[in-house]
Amino acid sequence: MADETTHLPTHMPIENRPRNISRSVNDHTSRLDGVAKVTGRAAYTRDRYLDNQLFAGFIRCPWGQARLESFDRERALEVDGVVEVELQGRSGEYHGDIVGHIVAESKPALRRAMNALGATWRRRPSLTRLEDDMDDPPDVNAATRDLLSEAEHVFEATYTTPVQTHACLETHVLVVDHDGERATVYASTQGTSVVNEQVAEPLDLPQSKYEVVCEYVGGGFGSKFPIGREGQLAASIAAKYKRPVMCDLDRAEEHLDTGNRPSSRSTVRIGVNEDGTILGGRIHTWGGTGVVQRGGGVRFPSGRFDFGEIQKSHHDVSFNGGAPRPMRAPGHPQGAFAEELMVDEIAELVGVDPVEYRKRLDTSDARREMYDLGAELIGWNQREATGEQRRAIRRGFGVGSTTWGPNRSNAECEVVIHQDGSVEARTGTQDIGTGQKTIMGVLAAEHLGVPLRNVEVRIGRSTLPAGPPSGGSVTAPGTSPAMIDAAHDARRQLLDAIAEQEDLNADDLRLEGGNVYRGDERILEWSRAVRRMRNDRITGRGRSTGRDDPHWGEGHSDGVQFVSLSVDVETGMIRVDKVIAIQSCGRVVARKTAESQIIGGVIQGLSFALYEEKLLDRWTGAMVNPDLEMYKILGSRDMPHIVPVLWDKGQSGVRSLGEPPVIPTAGAVAGAVFNALGRPVRDLPLTPDKVLAALDSQGGDA
Amino acid sequence: MSFAIARPTSHEHAARLLADGSYRLPVLKAGGMDVVDHLKENLIDPDLLVDVQPLRPDEPGGAIHHIETENGGRVVFDASTTMTELAESEVVREHCPVVGQSVADAATPQVRNVATAAGNLLQRPRCWYYRRKQFDCLKKGGSTCYAVEGENRYHAIFGDGPCYIVHPSNLAPALNVSDGVVHWVNRDGESHRTPSRDLFHSPREDVESEHTLPNDAVITRIEVADRPASGFYAVKEKQSFDWPLVFACVQLDLDGDRIESADVWAGAVAPVPWPLPDVAEALRGVRITDAGAVREACANAIRDARPMRDNGYKVKLLPVAIRRAIRRASGRPAHDLFDGEE
Repeated sequence: MADETTHLPTHMPIENRPRNISRSVNDHTSRLDGVAKVTGRAAYTRDRYLDNQLFAGFIRCPWGQARLESFDRERALEVDGVVEVELQGRSGEYHGDIVGHIVAESKPALRRAMNALGATWRRRPSLTRLEDDMDDPPDVNAATRDLLSEAEHVFEATYTTPVQTHACLETHVLVVDHDGERATVYASTQGTSVVNEQVAEPLDLPQSKYEVVCEYVGGGFGSKFPIGREGQLAASIAAKYKRPVMCDLDRAEEHLDTGNRPSSRSTVRIGVNEDGTILGGRIHTWGGTGVVQRGGGVRFPSGRFDFGEIQKSHHDVSFNGGAPRPMRAPGHPQGAFAEELMVDEIAELVGVDPVEYRKRLDTSDARREMYDLGAELIGWNQREATGEQRRAIRRGFGVGSTTWGPNRSNAECEVVIHQDGSVEARTGTQDIGTGQKTIMGVLAAEHLGVPLRNVEVRIGRSTLPAGPPSGGSVTAPGTSPAMIDAAHDARRQLLDAIAEQEDLNADDLRLEGGNVYRGDERILEWSRAVRRMRNDRITGRGRSTGRDDPHWGEGHSDGVQFVSLSVDVETGMIRVDKVIAIQSCGRVVARKTAESQIIGGVIQGLSFALYEEKLLDRWTGAMVNPDLEMYKILGSRDMPHIVPVLWDKGQSGVRSLGEPPVIPTAGAVAGAVFNALGRPVRDLPLTPDKVLAALDSQGGDA
Repeated sequence: MSFAIARPTSHEHAARLLADGSYRLPVLKAGGMDVVDHLKENLIDPDLLVDVQPLRPDEPGGAIHHIETENGGRVVFDASTTMTELAESEVVREHCPVVGQSVADAATPQVRNVATAAGNLLQRPRCWYYRRKQFDCLKKGGSTCYAVEGENRYHAIFGDGPCYIVHPSNLAPALNVSDGVVHWVNRDGESHRTPSRDLFHSPREDVESEHTLPNDAVITRIEVADRPASGFYAVKEKQSFDWPLVFACVQLDLDGDRIESADVWAGAVAPVPWPLPDVAEALRGVRITDAGAVREACANAIRDARPMRDNGYKVKLLPVAIRRAIRRASGRPAHDLFDGEE
């Protein structure tokens, strides 16, 4: 092994890492498919262009609400290469709503047919945001009213977050390779098993006659569980014509109709005493759920803080927009933004340092320790009192918290030792970019006792042992115990075979680094050891159900994040300078991918805090920024120094990591902006116009 | 939705192809950035792309030259000079820094490596109503500017419509403070020169086209005067791949630290590059070290601003951008988040 510091992906050399930082068994493994991904060798679903392939696309409503007035189906059908043009509906309830589809022999033909169809629409008035149609919160109940009247301060505020889209780099797509009798279904999904189940009906084949393949996924973030309309269309067209079909969405469709993090609005009345004690109060939240009536829940209060007696209520509000889907910690970041900024504002009201205040309010002992470490790493002692700075460039410090419960999932894994010494680690689950493939390889190698280079990881196929969908941050926690068990099972079978043939006791043998030892004596090297098996292979099997498994991690994945930033008060520009992201996740299997998960969560959280907003035109209901130009996402030059810190005190088992790091970032940023300006900006994203408006309300000392 | 690609052998040849009546919609393509955007968004349906990219002079670093004339030095560069070449050119940095600065941080490195100077001038606006096919806005022959009642946070605060785009070119105002001249040829092979200040017209004159050149014009080269005390400053929401919220181009004639005369243009605030003669006039005689006097002069910029519902913040940003451009023009740091604190 080379010097391990050269392998570290973070900005902090390992010797400088503070106490309580994980030193896992595997500190350096790079993503097993990293080279394939960055060189383009990895074939994503979108890359599956097949012989004799058909292309299917949707006819969509271009306005918030509209009726299809006229179209020329015959003209569209006359376009060379067009196979079918179907209109199922005559009206749309949101921009992107599907009213029909076209199938053609090529993508250009599909596009020509869309133009030839010449659909004209009569626009109708539409609601474009939850504020257009929300009800008042329910009345404050008697107990809350009494409590508020007793409190020395009543803190009131309203916080809002916009619709954020998943914006997957690989847009939603399904490709079916149908040979007339059997099919291979190429999916870009978070649930290979979900697609396997859902595609059977539109594909009109028994599950024994097709395989779902999902080797690489260009982002999902919660939007890629069901096969979706695109999957249903691709499968049904493949079934109808017995031909390969691709149905892929373009960038605009991806923003419009593949789900989103719903908008939120939170209004609070909180009773606080002069000594900082929070007696309780009322928190009402609204979620903007687009065209559907549910899915807009806001996790506020989160339960991470003791706020006394809280009367919580929530309304989902419909408007003419695309429906939400789960998005990386659904309901959490929007709630945490409001909650963390509220805590900072109340801390300021009662004159307590925000970190000290959190240590009082926080319900987790682990996080109380993390606050101290984070404060040290960010340089919290350089923080100036809120609103005291008069410079043109002002610094701000902020903090946020996160937690994630021990969610469970079922999984089956296999470790196959072939007679030639090669090893397969197999499970049907998918790697949506998290490093799941790498985790499987590391665990199989370590628990079998062979070098990682001997292990080929095979995942993302419905014909492999059943693996879980990737949601709720359960994939690694669910599959890891099963893969460990599978590796142990394979090892036991091999050692049993060796013991039998060599007339030894299997309990005296161990496998390490590919060699078989009895005591300290190496009795067989790998190439000879594998010759002792009776058949051409040994298959070790493991299965986890999430209960009573010794490899399960107990407790929560906790974390805190600290942000330091600078605000240019002449322009309202925010530059985030540094983020310290402390996170526990049980036992770290592969440090690089674990740290990468944290960094990715922070990036998505920063982007939510500063830039992202699905903007519907208030006049027509059409989304005006369905691209990656005006739908703004954090870019390379907007990236701060992000320091992931894996916390290992009291950690065991493999626990959730995907979602918790995205939760606290926006709240920490908002708190830091409040610290710098002395005025809160309570509406995301924190764009220059809002920062300048907040400064104006201060009386214009800028 | 299908087109031929022509590879002309000269700019005159390209102009002839543009004027060739046998094509329904011939479109000029250089770097291709904006043409491809239009094709992808289904905004144009050309039957011929006239690709002038192969006409690029074969010179490393782009064909950027400094020449001496009777009226002083001038920097001349080819129409196809890329944004990267302008940004990295020592000649530009020494003689007319505002030109290089204006494109140095635009878009992304990948875009700057192919996007051309002439293309930057003639690119179409980024207005989201213009860019989305379903909006039949004024620019597309419709009768409405959707921005007036709609989402106008990035739209114009000057110009009084009827179309409220902001002109997309960073380079155009930089040329305007540098006595820029655009050379072009037409189908007859005639060479013309248009001062950059006359290159664009208000939507009041012609709402469907931003520029004044005839349809068969092909820009061949661009020249600017030596303006060593010139500077550019843009305020952007993001530093990667974003369009300015506002920007300013300034050139100063300095006597020591005293401004003898100035020229000030703003961008991203109006449908055309926006002149600010009142600011220039107020700067006359001001010492660049006199922050109060500079601030007072720059405040003139917004006297005639008429913001809409969501773009009032631009009124606050504009004087700041001008002050920072003045600092850069006089060789000092802008004093922003990216060059150290005040």
